[in-house]
Amino acid sequence: MATHVMPTDWRHAVPTRSRAAGSLHYLTGHYLLLPLGAAVAFVWANVDGFSYYTVAHALAFPVNAIAMALFFGLVAQEIFEETAPGRALHQWSRWVVPMIAAAAGVTVGAIVYGLYVEWKLEPMLHVTWPVVAGVDVAFAYFVVKAVFHRSAGPPKGGHNVHPAVPFALLLALVSNVIGVVVIAPVFANAAERTGGAAVLMAAAIGVAWWLQRRHVKQFWPYIWVAGGLSWLALYLEGFHPALALLPIIPFMPHARRRLDELFADEADQRGATPRHFEHVWHYHAQAALFLFGLVNAGVVLTGYGTGTWATLAALLLGRTAGIAIGVGLALALGLTLPANLRAREVIVIALAVSVGFTLSLFFATTLLPPGPQLAELKLGALLSLLGVPLTFIAARLLHVGRFARAHVHPHGKHRGA
Amino acid sequence: MFGLFVSLSLLIAVLGAAAVAEMPQSTAAQNGPAIGPPPAPPPAALQAVRFAVIGDNGTGDQPEFDVARQMVASRAQVPFDFVLMLGDNLYGRPSAREFDDAFARPYKPLLDAGVRFHAILGNHDALDNRLYPLFGMDGQRYYTWARENTRFFGIDTNRLDDAQMAWLENALKRSFERWKIVYFHHAIYSGGTRHGSNIELRVRLEPLFVRYGVNVVFSGHDHIYQRFKPRKGITYFVEGASGKLRKGINASAESAAAFDQDQSFMLVEIAGAELTFRTITRTGRVVDAGAIGAGPTS
Repeated sequence: MATHVMPTDWRHAVPTRSRAAGSLHYLTGHYLLLPLGAAVAFVWANVDGFSYYTVAHALAFPVNAIAMALFFGLVAQEIFEETAPGRALHQWSRWVVPMIAAAAGVTVGAIVYGLYVEWKLEPMLHVTWPVVAGVDVAFAYFVVKAVFHRSAGPPKGGHNVHPAVPFALLLALVSNVIGVVVIAPVFANAAERTGGAAVLMAAAIGVAWWLQRRHVKQFWPYIWVAGGLSWLALYLEGFHPALALLPIIPFMPHARRRLDELFADEADQRGATPRHFEHVWHYHAQAALFLFGLVNAGVVLTGYGTGTWATLAALLLGRTAGIAIGVGLALALGLTLPANLRAREVIVIALAVSVGFTLSLFFATTLLPPGPQLAELKLGALLSLLGVPLTFIAARLLHVGRFARAHVHPHGKHRGA
Repeated sequence: MFGLFVSLSLLIAVLGAAAVAEMPQSTAAQNGPAIGPPPAPPPAALQAVRFAVIGDNGTGDQPEFDVARQMVASRAQVPFDFVLMLGDNLYGRPSAREFDDAFARPYKPLLDAGVRFHAILGNHDALDNRLYPLFGMDGQRYYTWARENTRFFGIDTNRLDDAQMAWLENALKRSFERWKIVYFHHAIYSGGTRHGSNIELRVRLEPLFVRYGVNVVFSGHDHIYQRFKPRKGITYFVEGASGKLRKGINASAESAAAFDQDQSFMLVEIAGAELTFRTITRTGRVVDAGAIGAGPTS
């Protein structure tokens, strides 16, 4: 997930823009178009369900299978760049604890989900457990960043970012990768497998490689030509085509970015490829996310059911407990947490990544066709936004981050913990 | 800026084209139970088709036994020879004992008399319940079959995927029978206060029902009985109170009859161009009755 953090003086950077353009800039910068689309959908579905579902069904495939490819491409591009030498994800050791925590979170979440479904005697819902792997990375990023806003950064290095931020993002990424791996072969709307997909995929990668060899700096040929072939290959083979850009990303032009914040981009350098294209792509992905929220988040209030509560319990309780257990297990194995992270910070981080929202919605729509069971899961994914206030409540109760008890510094200054 | 405009326009064009392709349209059948070639027109003299309808019945509790006993008693007047089951046929975990307790025992007199059951799956059913021989599903989630001048379409609204939609459209299109009856679990018209009408399913299913001349639809899920005034030529029934019961029906001008005070089942008889029905409680009280005429053969 890319999060384009606006520079504090962004209004000055775009002095000629209107207030509307500034508002749009703010919405995209804080990934608010998705919640906006979701809010519109929710109201629309409950006011005039017939017109909403008519539109939503017509848009479901193009949005979920085509437009979302841009979003996942952007996510993959961010991750790929972060794995470069010197970047945040390059050191394998940084991954280990979050990986264990994420795996434990998904496992315990799936157990809670399964137990709830079993208790309520709705066995057909068992197969939809992968919704518990979904973590809304944007929400996790902004919530963790807000909670640890006033906290001290790491003791060395001089980067003004709390280690909770990369820890939470790594945890979220691993969890989502687990979900993607599980759901990729079970694309609910897949056509019959027709074969020949391997040839198409080879052609897609070949085109991307050729573009790279030719030092093509424009990114649209990579997306439309190579990405298009890849999309077709996945679709024909029954894999989710929204993942089509993943094999193309490594061939695309990349640029080093600043090291102080994970998943934050530098300011746009107009015309400078590849720096500029990330910003352009960012807007396309945001448009896709708005449509995704609009198409998938419309659920009528009476649509709740076992799937709703199973999803909610699994995300808020199961995954949070699983992450805590996973971290405990990692520590027992002799691994260590990053500096400034202790048990109570881990609990707050675990709650921050309990929001499934976008990814849980995506996994749900992949696993089930439109209908009452899907609506139940969607409502659970939407209600997982409760994880946001719960995170702040927990942070306050546990005195974590910005809610840390102020104490008198030996030199008389007040400091947070 | 121009590049951004062009690329966004291209994206919108691609999405728009795909959306148009997703609009409801005639599609060929894909996977699904075999429908077979169109049979020859029926002979002129047809016998009456008599059946019962139960829904949300599979509790194994006393009310289910009471309803079953009343069904047996009613056969003296309306000798039905099959039963439509509208889902939630088994609330327990699938096991030989559960099937016995919640199905084979309550309906033993009917089964012994040769009455056949034709079930579809509800949200409380396991997918493998379709394999239970006495449910008459032949291992299918959705299927069609005909008796005299009536064709039945049992569909699975838990997973109404594209393949099933294509199959349903093809099956409806190829049906020549005078009566077309569709039954499934989640009601697209219901006044039940717990679930109510499933609008999302209605958007997908109703256009097909109207286009291909469906006459009657039976559903369950809300644990009530309800009949709606004909909508676009189709009469919708909710019968989800043959085992479970949950009181609470929203008042509606579209509702023709509603009952939530006791468990119930339906008796239906189709003779020529008329379908008559009765809704009977487990104590034998008739709470709704009437007749529906089939329009011209579609």
